[in-house]
Amino acid sequence: MRFNRTLILLYAATSLLIGCKTQKIQYLPQVSYNTNIVIDNSITPDSTIIAYYAPYKVKLEKEMNRQIGYSDYYLSKVRSQPEFLVGNFFADALLTIGKQIDPETQLSLATKDGIRTEVKQGPITVGSMFELMPFENTITVLELKGTDVLELCEFIAKAGGQPIAGFTMQIEHDKPVNININGQPLDTNKTYKLVTYDYLANGGDYIKGITNPISRINTPNTVREELIRYVEELTSKGKHVNTQLDGRITILK
Amino acid sequence: MEELQYLNRKKFIKSLAALGVIIASFGLPTAFAQDASKEVKLTILHTNDVHSRVEPFPMDGSRLQGLGGTARRSSLLSKIRNEEKNVLLLDAGDIFQGTPYFNLFDGEVELEIMSKLGYDAGTFGNHEFDNGVAGILKHFDKAKFPFVTSNYDFSKTELAGKTKEYIVIEKDGVRIGIFGLGVDVEGLVDPKNHKDVIYLDPVEVSNRIVPILKNQEKCDLVICLSHLGYSYKEDKISDLTLVPKTRDIDLIIGGHTHTLLDKPTEVLNADGKVTLVNQVGNGGVRLGRIDYIFNPITKDKKYTSKNIDIAN
Repeated sequence: MRFNRTLILLYAATSLLIGCKTQKIQYLPQVSYNTNIVIDNSITPDSTIIAYYAPYKVKLEKEMNRQIGYSDYYLSKVRSQPEFLVGNFFADALLTIGKQIDPETQLSLATKDGIRTEVKQGPITVGSMFELMPFENTITVLELKGTDVLELCEFIAKAGGQPIAGFTMQIEHDKPVNININGQPLDTNKTYKLVTYDYLANGGDYIKGITNPISRINTPNTVREELIRYVEELTSKGKHVNTQLDGRITILK
Repeated sequence: MEELQYLNRKKFIKSLAALGVIIASFGLPTAFAQDASKEVKLTILHTNDVHSRVEPFPMDGSRLQGLGGTARRSSLLSKIRNEEKNVLLLDAGDIFQGTPYFNLFDGEVELEIMSKLGYDAGTFGNHEFDNGVAGILKHFDKAKFPFVTSNYDFSKTELAGKTKEYIVIEKDGVRIGIFGLGVDVEGLVDPKNHKDVIYLDPVEVSNRIVPILKNQEKCDLVICLSHLGYSYKEDKISDLTLVPKTRDIDLIIGGHTHTLLDKPTEVLNADGKVTLVNQVGNGGVRLGRIDYIFNPITKDKKYTSKNIDIAN
């Protein structure tokens, strides 16, 4: 009995002392190695991890290969040209999307740098839209002063053209001339609504003329999701993507 | 994790105590305490901004083509764990968004793989909020590791109580305190996706939590998992600007700015002591590695002597 009590007391005392944090040994850390390791093909992949994601990969590839529409033409990207097919496709789609958000939207703008790839002639898949727009940029509608639209046109002219829709212009000695919106010359006293995406609206790609809008509508919708929806809507109406070069930007020699 | 740690500690203490009782009852002198002369090695491994990069970057001519991949990371981790006894694996956020794996499966694949890879802790990047708080919760149960989010107040959201303000992990008697700092989601995340999330000042939060980790939790090493970003041209809080305003943070494992470092940057803190800041790009193209050797501070003999007293 007494032995038991001693045991209990000892147990309690030990637990108390060991449990007490002030009793802990303190350690001084010193760095002995600090080089980050490159992960490349010199490392054999762990087959159990590949086996884990394999079924997801199958589903993913099936979704990426899902056809959402059809393109009558090969939508090419020709950086040196003032307009090119995939740029026109992108800008036309943006304008349609913008008008659905704000019916007063008249202009759309993208950049050559923002359009990452071309679209093949034939079936358009979800994957083609992921390749075209891998970024998580979201649709943004801006209300701009006419003077800002002019500044934007100057930026576009300097760049030798950018993907646009809803307006036309000509470039003479790197300057914009004959800017037309809905068949009317640009009026610097008016305001215009332009659809683009957040990255550009925030000043990306050294854009000029759109970073001080009168008003701005931010949407949570990614450009990619909206592009997919745009093509699906065309398809549901029995239409193909049949983007044309229409001389929206030309260079005067 | 913290509870688990606590429970394990409790169990461990109990068995130690029981052992002590047995030895004591036989009247043997003993030191069932930690070996005060032993040095402890700890290997810290980390990732950031993996952005749903389950497979290596495709061979498409891009800057990071052919690099990364979770299966390779797994092999590398196994190799290091075979070589080193004490390994911590941490992530500094933006696990989500960047490949269709996220768009299609809402984070399930990323969190399951991280659990399989044995992550010890992570923090939230801004992209974790891309589908709102509900999007974080959708597959939250797939993460078998805690998220430390010290400067997000989630108490008014569905995430309340589901993340940790800090955690303490013990390895061979060395206590490692980990807290997490997230970036201000205002302007980065659609307002409806961070509704009711309250952002707290990272400097104030650090200066409140680090003393707890040092003094109350008796941590030998303090790690900050940060998604603040490495540095900015403009005047904005970042890992590099946080350090001089804080003390006692040994290591900041950073993210957000996709800064690819070969080795950590040394920055002086408010006490003029070095805080390491490390970050490994994005997409899991590198695994951050920092090894520490811990030597017992011998002037503190209290622990050993008191235990000997009891044993006698």
